[in-house]
Amino acid sequence: MTTTDLGLTIRRQSATPASGTNIRRDHSTPALEISKLVDIDLCIGCKACEVACKEWNDLQVEETHLFSGYQSHPDLTPHTWDLMRFNEVELAGGALAWLIRKDSCLHCEEPGCLLACPAPGAVIQYENGIVDFNQDACIGCQYCVSGCPFDIPRFDTVTKKVYKCTLCIDRVSTGLEPACVKACPTGAIRFGTKEDMLAYGLEKVEKLKARGFSEAMLYDPVGVGGLHMMYVVPRGEILEQYGLPVDPTVTAPTSFPSLIGALRKVGATASWAGLLAAAVYFLKTGKRYPPPEEEAVAAAYEKAPHG
Amino acid sequence: MAEIVTAEELAREQEPRLITRHTFGVRVVHWWTTLTFLYLILSGFALGYPRMAWLLDVMGGGQSVRFVHPWVGVGFTVGLVFMFAMWLPSMRFHSVDRHWFRNLGEYVRTGHTDTDTDKFNGGQKAYYWFSVINGLVLLITGIPLWLPDLLPREWNLAARFSHHVFFLMAAGFLVVHVYLSTARFPGTFRSMTSGTVSRAWAAFHHPRWFRRVDAGREHEGAD
Repeated sequence: MTTTDLGLTIRRQSATPASGTNIRRDHSTPALEISKLVDIDLCIGCKACEVACKEWNDLQVEETHLFSGYQSHPDLTPHTWDLMRFNEVELAGGALAWLIRKDSCLHCEEPGCLLACPAPGAVIQYENGIVDFNQDACIGCQYCVSGCPFDIPRFDTVTKKVYKCTLCIDRVSTGLEPACVKACPTGAIRFGTKEDMLAYGLEKVEKLKARGFSEAMLYDPVGVGGLHMMYVVPRGEILEQYGLPVDPTVTAPTSFPSLIGALRKVGATASWAGLLAAAVYFLKTGKRYPPPEEEAVAAAYEKAPHG
Repeated sequence: MAEIVTAEELAREQEPRLITRHTFGVRVVHWWTTLTFLYLILSGFALGYPRMAWLLDVMGGGQSVRFVHPWVGVGFTVGLVFMFAMWLPSMRFHSVDRHWFRNLGEYVRTGHTDTDTDKFNGGQKAYYWFSVINGLVLLITGIPLWLPDLLPREWNLAARFSHHVFFLMAAGFLVVHVYLSTARFPGTFRSMTSGTVSRAWAAFHHPRWFRRVDAGREHEGAD
């Protein structure tokens, strides 16, 4: 296996223009893209993925408190990159739906975090689709936190850096599946090429529809260019109740990355044009000296209102 | 018998007679805001423009800049408050300013209008009010960027966009301000260093103010 096969060449880095590094022969063919897929239908909420994530990434266990039914912790933290979210929802007609979702970084094709980041190389996207944080380069501004439409990155107040799921890039780089995938006892979390995961997901959606989940869907929103961790969602009609935004966007012309990109162009152009204009204006008009003192003083007194 | 004059005395004789335009305190406040604002603009460019990110390293590293920038912003705001207060009496618009604005084209072309300008002309007053309001907006839009947990994500993004827009305006007008007070009008810059200007300069650029100072009706340099 080579790094080309695993797609571990850098596709782009934050705050670094023209940051792709791929010069390999097969550059014209799309790189092998990988993806996780969470089949919510198969998830039993056992939290094995949470534990495996903690173990593999050597993240400290955090104390929790009793706050609701089955969820282990209230929220993601710098030390908790994977969290099973439990949500009990009353459906129309009074039936109960127990929504369980593995919440962790979705590794967007167009990552809002990367596009918002001002620190060169602090967010890196690889050819295979993995979006990873490089804490060495992170400056702790937390623009990625605001830039993420899924509320994933978490700021650590001790190190002043942000953290999130790496898609177990250290495992993937040696040909292994991510820890959460390995630990999942029901096969609800799958891992493979994006192509294979799309095929599995679309087939599963059809099966769910045949079983009566008429709004079942594959969650892979175009507004972020698609995901490298997709969901099969049985009840697509209540997407927001799962905690998933219906239409997350970072690619639209009105979205923040596009607006700030346009503003940068305007700002850079205006800055240079302004300095150039000042130079030209100086060449044209030069300096304006006051006249000799007697003349200037006389003129000043002429201006005085009479009477 | 002709009086004997040394070269030194002759030079002193020929030096233009000076009047004070900006007192020591005024100059301190002005340079305080100058230095803080310069830091804010440079670090702002470094944080806002990937192609300027090398400035982060020059300025002590990205983490330091991210930490220092907001605090310098606070320092700048303090200076701005003093600036607002110390110049407020001189910066109220009067009817003569209308004449100055009507002759703005002439001012741009020739560097002079025949307006009976007071201590500050219409453009300077406009720049004062622009700076005060702009500084206030930069402070308000800067707070969510400093402490991103205060507001929802969308507000933070809007604040970042607005902070950028007002930063560009401030940087743009600063270029005009520096240009006019240094290269364009000789004899102006010294009013912010030694605090003095020549009588000719004062009578030419600010006749109304000059007459008051000349008549002793206004303490030199008082604001």
